[in-house]
Amino acid sequence: MTVTNKVQVNQTQGVNHSTDWFTRVATFSPKFLLLLLIVPVFGGLIGVLLPAFGWAPALNQYSVGLQGFNALWQTLGLTQMISLSIATGLISTVLAFVITLMILAAFFNSVWLDRIQQILSPILVIPHAAAAIAVGFLIAPSGMVSRLFSPWLIGWELAPHGIFPHDPYGISIMLGLTLKELPFLLLMALGALAQPELGKKLRQQHKVALNLGYCPITAFFKVVLPSLYPLLRLPLLAVLAYASSSVEMPLILGPNTPPTLAVAIMQWFNDVDLNLRIKASAGALLQLALTGGLLVLWLLGEKTVKYLFCESLTNGKREYGGTYWQIITAIVTTLVIVFIALALVGLVLWSVAGFWRFPATLPDSFTLIHWQSAVMQIGEPLFNSLLIGIITTLLAIALTLLCLEYEQIKGKLLSRFTSLIIYIPLLVPSIAFLFGLVWIQQLITVQVSFISYINVIIAHLLFVLPYVFLSLASSYRQLDPRFAIVAASLGTKPSKVFFKVKLPQLFVPILIASALGLAISFGQYLPTLLAGGGRISTITTEAIALANGASRRTSAVYALMQMLLPLIGFILAWVLPKFIYKAARR
Amino acid sequence: MQTSLQIKNLQLFRQNELLLRLNEQVNGGEILTLMGPSGSGKSSLLNWLTGALPTGFTAEGEVWLNNNNITQVPAHLRHVGVLYQDALLFSHLSVAGNIAFAMPAGNKKQRLEKIEDALEQLGLKGLADRHTDNLSGGQQARVALLRVLLSEPKAILLDEPFSKLDSQLREDTRALVFEQIRYHQLPALMVTHDHSDAKAAGGKVITLNKTE
Repeated sequence: MTVTNKVQVNQTQGVNHSTDWFTRVATFSPKFLLLLLIVPVFGGLIGVLLPAFGWAPALNQYSVGLQGFNALWQTLGLTQMISLSIATGLISTVLAFVITLMILAAFFNSVWLDRIQQILSPILVIPHAAAAIAVGFLIAPSGMVSRLFSPWLIGWELAPHGIFPHDPYGISIMLGLTLKELPFLLLMALGALAQPELGKKLRQQHKVALNLGYCPITAFFKVVLPSLYPLLRLPLLAVLAYASSSVEMPLILGPNTPPTLAVAIMQWFNDVDLNLRIKASAGALLQLALTGGLLVLWLLGEKTVKYLFCESLTNGKREYGGTYWQIITAIVTTLVIVFIALALVGLVLWSVAGFWRFPATLPDSFTLIHWQSAVMQIGEPLFNSLLIGIITTLLAIALTLLCLEYEQIKGKLLSRFTSLIIYIPLLVPSIAFLFGLVWIQQLITVQVSFISYINVIIAHLLFVLPYVFLSLASSYRQLDPRFAIVAASLGTKPSKVFFKVKLPQLFVPILIASALGLAISFGQYLPTLLAGGGRISTITTEAIALANGASRRTSAVYALMQMLLPLIGFILAWVLPKFIYKAARR
Repeated sequence: MQTSLQIKNLQLFRQNELLLRLNEQVNGGEILTLMGPSGSGKSSLLNWLTGALPTGFTAEGEVWLNNNNITQVPAHLRHVGVLYQDALLFSHLSVAGNIAFAMPAGNKKQRLEKIEDALEQLGLKGLADRHTDNLSGGQQARVALLRVLLSEPKAILLDEPFSKLDSQLREDTRALVFEQIRYHQLPALMVTHDHSDAKAAGGKVITLNKTE
């Protein structure tokens, strides 16, 4: 009788006087989550702030001053680095956002939207590095594009000297980032529209606008977008922050003289001349300011757009050349899909290509030797990828579930502060705080052989947690609370309710979140490289190391392996429930 | 000129199964009432008339509006206004914004004056700048009505528009809507479950049977 009362009181009034161990763990979990995120991120930021001003005990430097910044300002081509970072970050984000809006507007409420989603969503699980390698192959002078048009159209008999993919303007980086972020933004928008209440409301209002004579595209921009945008803001800011500070794409697709700021910082940090690290720390602060500035710029742009177009929402104009936009969108969407498909086909062809002369569209001969030699060497990186991925994902899932359970015990959502902190690793440039983290790790030298693994797992967790949380939260919050109440009223302990009643209902969402967590972990480059001190090699670090040096064929094999790992995860998440339910029904 | 909405030899199918047959003409100021259980094809009929028949449904026959065949005209060019059972006001716009959204483009000052006049006529004076979420159910229904009327439709469809209002409000709103339909001489087609709606409409009533 007491159990019944207690649980129902907990559910409805948020009073917690249970002493059950499970409840205590769950109650503590949000605090632990905050600790786990705040300490590395803010600790890392402090860890980069101090050396930037000359205080670096690890280098026996204690003279506080601006020498790091002085060295930074004197760097040749710094202005170009900054412009390159700003241009690639901003333009790729704007492009991805604009194409997302065009697709949504042109195909709102049509079957095509689902089809486009089905085609583009697998791109989401492709790690940035693998996508960059594929795009690089495609636009290279001897890549698929020029092969398809040579020699019959452009008359090239020999591969020309082109500027792609390492063009000095960053066009290749923008292309790669846009193609990678477009599916993410589109999926985020469709996820928001899939919320039962909001989605239904917006679809009905779109219909009302059509009845009032609005062309479908205008109806989307005047009726749906104002309500949809607030839900896209955080993903957009995360995309902008990533695009302006990531190293994977610029390393593989970017120029080297000079590179983007983030890549330059990384090179200074890894330089044999340890004194460059002071300059690198100053650079990390500059990167922080740059990304922060871009985020502020975006928010200001938002306000400006709102101010400028506020009037025209109600001016009664119903048509802005909708037919043409419809055609343009169809062409752009087709181009994007064809481009991605060609990039993937090219990657597969390279990985099995024997001799492949230009401008032949297909290799002259096929061979599995690249795969064979890669498989021989892949043991350790594969083991590391799996070990780190699985441990990180398990931790992330457990912590997320406990935090969500805490919400139900307390009967209210996590505080706004906690929800914001969960997304902080996505908004702060990782290159800034990860280096600080490395400084700290070097201060606290623990003599354990597997310490670098622990460091890497903590670093991965920062990026895996937000996505796992995003993925699980809506399913957990939609659980019918009556099941738990019924179970509790039969005298079941809270821990048993959690494990025996709630988790089985969440089996599929947990599998999907796990696959997502694994995919995110597999794709991490910078956290692995830095937190592991360069000693831990994974498929991704190998793929990037090989991308600029080794042969295209080996590089293609590694890029494909990078794609295969997350793909296997998602296939398992999709197939396992079917088998298990089938077995259970027997 | 006499306005009219004509449904010519309509046969509506769901996965090749005949849902309903209809051959009717509604003249301006008249209200044709359709009654029938759910599943009888009432909503599909309205969807077909607005040009938004969902996949899985097919239709044969034609719809004519003021002697123009609009069967193949896309939804947003039909000039057929709809009142739904929910007001479906745009929550990112004010009351005046909702109405202005529906009005044809034109001189800003004249549009504002027209909105003020219309709000006053329907007893909504002073609510122009209010947020739509802060209105009562009856006020929301009246704003939705104004929104449809000021979009200058050539015909109007009523999709159980009063079913969510309580009884006194229901009668008042219904009287207002019917009065406006007659005043603007619009052909109207109403779908309802409620016999009192049908009686108040005072027009022809067609009862649909559930097809098996």
